[in-house]
Amino acid sequence: MDRIAQLLDQLDREAYVADPAIATSLHLAIELRKPLLVEGHAGVGKTEIAKVLARLLGTEMIRLQCYEGLDASTALYEWNYARQLLHIRLQERDGHSGPDAEARIFSEPFLLKRPLLQAIAHEGRAPVLLVDEIDRSDEEFEAFLLEVLSDFQVTVPEIGTIRARERPHVILTSNRSRELSDALRRRCLYLFIDYPSFEKELSIVRRKVPGASEDLATQIVGLVQRLRKAKLSKVPGISETLDWASALVVLHASQLTPELTAETLGCVVKDEADLRKLRVEIEAGRLPAGAP
Amino acid sequence: MTADLVSCAVGLCRELRSRGMTVTTAHAMDAVRALRCGSIVSRQRAYLALRCVLVGRPEEMEIFDEVFAAFFDHPRETEHRGPVRVIRRPQRTESPPALSNWGSEEEGASSEREEVPAASDRAAMAKKDFSTFGADELEQIQRLARRIARRLAARPSRRWKSGRRGPRVDLRRTIRRSLSNAGEPLELRFRRRKPRKTRIVAICDVSGSMDLYSRFLLQFLYALQGTVARVESFVFSTELRRVTELLRQPDYAQALRGLSAEVHDWSGGTRIGECLAAFNRDWLHRVDGRTVVVILSDGWDTGDPALLGAEMETLRHRSRRLIWLNPLLGSPDYEPLTQGMQAALPHVSVFAPAHNLTALRALERHLLA
Repeated sequence: MDRIAQLLDQLDREAYVADPAIATSLHLAIELRKPLLVEGHAGVGKTEIAKVLARLLGTEMIRLQCYEGLDASTALYEWNYARQLLHIRLQERDGHSGPDAEARIFSEPFLLKRPLLQAIAHEGRAPVLLVDEIDRSDEEFEAFLLEVLSDFQVTVPEIGTIRARERPHVILTSNRSRELSDALRRRCLYLFIDYPSFEKELSIVRRKVPGASEDLATQIVGLVQRLRKAKLSKVPGISETLDWASALVVLHASQLTPELTAETLGCVVKDEADLRKLRVEIEAGRLPAGAP
Repeated sequence: MTADLVSCAVGLCRELRSRGMTVTTAHAMDAVRALRCGSIVSRQRAYLALRCVLVGRPEEMEIFDEVFAAFFDHPRETEHRGPVRVIRRPQRTESPPALSNWGSEEEGASSEREEVPAASDRAAMAKKDFSTFGADELEQIQRLARRIARRLAARPSRRWKSGRRGPRVDLRRTIRRSLSNAGEPLELRFRRRKPRKTRIVAICDVSGSMDLYSRFLLQFLYALQGTVARVESFVFSTELRRVTELLRQPDYAQALRGLSAEVHDWSGGTRIGECLAAFNRDWLHRVDGRTVVVILSDGWDTGDPALLGAEMETLRHRSRRLIWLNPLLGSPDYEPLTQGMQAALPHVSVFAPAHNLTALRALERHLLA
């Protein structure tokens, strides 16, 4: 069996239903040690990829959640000021001071490692670094990240340069809320994850919600697939399908009746206007008309 | 075999480059490494691996598929085939009359521009309808757009930034500073709110009925985009087209030339509903609770009003504000009675004129609200 087939198998064992495109991308990311940029709609399992990869490689996952205004000090390192201050006061009481004391408070025990530095200074097996929702960060941060990703070393003026012993595996995710720079794209492998096909989504539900009967799973997935084609302002992702399936299992449902659908639709459709539209459809008997 | 693999990868990269994709030598090297690292045992595997390495954005998938199929099925034919559909890198073609004129007028007018308008001229100009504006007056619009953009960028956000002054003491940095004085905080550091970046999505009508206005509105967008980073620009007439990249040129005349080469239905009919539907389908992810959406159109729509209404509703729900600027609103006897306008109005947070500089100045207030 070749490596990609093996990887598919391993992913399946980790309860991640992948397709050859995802497996090939992960394989290349591991082999070429290049960052993998994963794009796709909300809730198609982008973040999950990093978690599964870490489990596969038997290593730690370090997550950097991006947001607007995220800056280098929050992502890289900061000095533990409170602890430094305390240390200074204690030193004063004991009558120590001078350059010695300064060197001490600017040493590693006083350094707060943020995700990027954690990934670089990581001991042991190369960790998986997840840079989640990179599109939410500012362009300046993107440029900074690019620098870190290209040489995996960081210089802390008071301590010196810290180099990664082994390049971390880097997964970046983006919801495409803004265009990422060409420079960043050039440096990454690329994977676009679309909404899953009926068959793929069905096997995901089977894997993740084993309590759901075959009938129920088929009906749920069929309906969600139809909803994605309908013009909703908030299209349900896989996580919504799974939430819904779990909710119906808790309610001991074995069939998707119109009443049940109306009561639990909030698990999948999370926009008031969409809900109103769909309730009308249910009352008119057009939903849920079973599997496609 | 190996030489074959390399030349194959290089050939594919060259073909992709000729179709407008950004494919560097580093990409070609990665492609070879990817093909060599084992497990590439079938055509399908090779396809997936090369796509992962060479494609950088979803828009390129289609081109990659085409080129890959052509390259591996009929390797010789591709050598001679010209580009079928090129993305970015605009090819200069016969430009539609309206726009190419603008470009050249701009260049030709530079000698006249030396006449700086006197104060009285300026007052008159503020009320002057854009449809009677000359090319040299574009500069006024540009200046205004810059000012609005700066004001937009200066709104305070929830996050803090450290500095020498500000309303609150920044304890961390004060202590950091105090270290050089044996722990005595002699110099205080402060923090203040970071400026919040408003996002703007502008959708500009360039159909025939807007001819007289769209050039100025585009100029406005161009300047706006040049000042704040987060502006996405679209134009539409019968179909929607994203022009953010095209407007990101150092020179406006150049941007216009790019626009006229890339946008093919200038001065055509109007189908606002369909175009907004296309926007909501492909670009709604660029709109969030911080985004101000500005539609610049006279509302003459030949499409289905119900569709327009529905799409406007979707847009309003996703955005912070939905502003409709209508140049016709500047004329005293205009009433928004067209069916399209009627369908759209209930969803608009601000309905304002955009026919002269005073009107654009008022826009500043709406964008900041």
